[in-house]
Amino acid sequence: MRDCESIRESIGRWLDGELDTAESEAISAHLASCGECKKAQRQLETMQQTLKTTLLTEAQKVEFLPFWRGVQVRLARKTAWYEHPLARARETFTLSRAAWLVPASIAVVLAVLSLESYIPGWREGRNSFANVESIDAYGRNVALLRENESKTTVIWLYEDQEGENESADESAKSAPAF
Amino acid sequence: MELSDRDLVRRCQAGDMGSFQELVSRYHQKVYMVILGLLHNRDDALEVAQETFFRAYRKIRSFEGGSSFYTWIYRIAVNLAIDAQRRQKRNPLDFRETMDSAVEAQQETARDPFADVHDRELRESLIRAINDLTPEHKAVIVLRTIEGLSYKDIGEILGCSEGTVMSRLHYARKKLQDRLSAFL
Repeated sequence: MRDCESIRESIGRWLDGELDTAESEAISAHLASCGECKKAQRQLETMQQTLKTTLLTEAQKVEFLPFWRGVQVRLARKTAWYEHPLARARETFTLSRAAWLVPASIAVVLAVLSLESYIPGWREGRNSFANVESIDAYGRNVALLRENESKTTVIWLYEDQEGENESADESAKSAPAF
Repeated sequence: MELSDRDLVRRCQAGDMGSFQELVSRYHQKVYMVILGLLHNRDDALEVAQETFFRAYRKIRSFEGGSSFYTWIYRIAVNLAIDAQRRQKRNPLDFRETMDSAVEAQQETARDPFADVHDRELRESLIRAINDLTPEHKAVIVLRTIEGLSYKDIGEILGCSEGTVMSRLHYARKKLQDRLSAFL
């Protein structure tokens, strides 16, 4: 014989038809003889019936044709991009939708330009060339360069490629031809 | 002869819009009821219900028929409604408007001569008590109440086991009974 507490635990499943025959019969027999458990059963039924009636009353007000029209509008408006790629692109990149791109682009350009003042030297890292401000002197195979950032003067010794080439050409010309 | 849901889905997959229209006509009120039970706002429920069928149409080719059409459409509806509810909760202003709208809906229902409700106070308290449940508890109560769906079907819709459905239902009912004890 099950006690009232365990019967009430199972009333919900009994109402839902989720108990096996033996359990279901045991609950039915108990409910026939126990007023308190019968009351609990009625409370559950009233609750379910009230909710169902309330929602059903509201749902019956939703007529099919206006509802279907709403679905059709969505179908026409939001087709998948792969179904109509051009239409989708046109829909996505309208002037009003792209308006934010103008201030956003300006902000990005300003951010990139001002990055130099927050992260000094970030652009130098991208190549190994110094910014030459001026060439202070220039002579045979020697140049004095003034570097832009550090304001240092660099003595640059270089090979006179032109002269070497010329002399190479000359020696080539003077060499006997075989 | 009336075509089965499965036949209509097959025709719809072949591009027959008329079959999809028939499916919408069969299920639009039930889907709306489920969503209204979760959101408690008629305008939001209507929007989400229409979005549900729109999404269903877009995905209909991937529906393989492993489950029935109604569990599939309810799954889309419940997921969209839960998302919508989370958005409402993230935005307190929207949430307040939703509550106001829900109260208006109840008042209108009370004036409706066709409404078969036992008691207005009970109905309002029930709506408020359900609204205080978590989306997952709310979903099991609504799905069970509206369609009388089996625990197996509810589990399939919500993506959880039958045991989870059973315990959620038990908890939700107990909570509602406690809240409504004065009216029942």
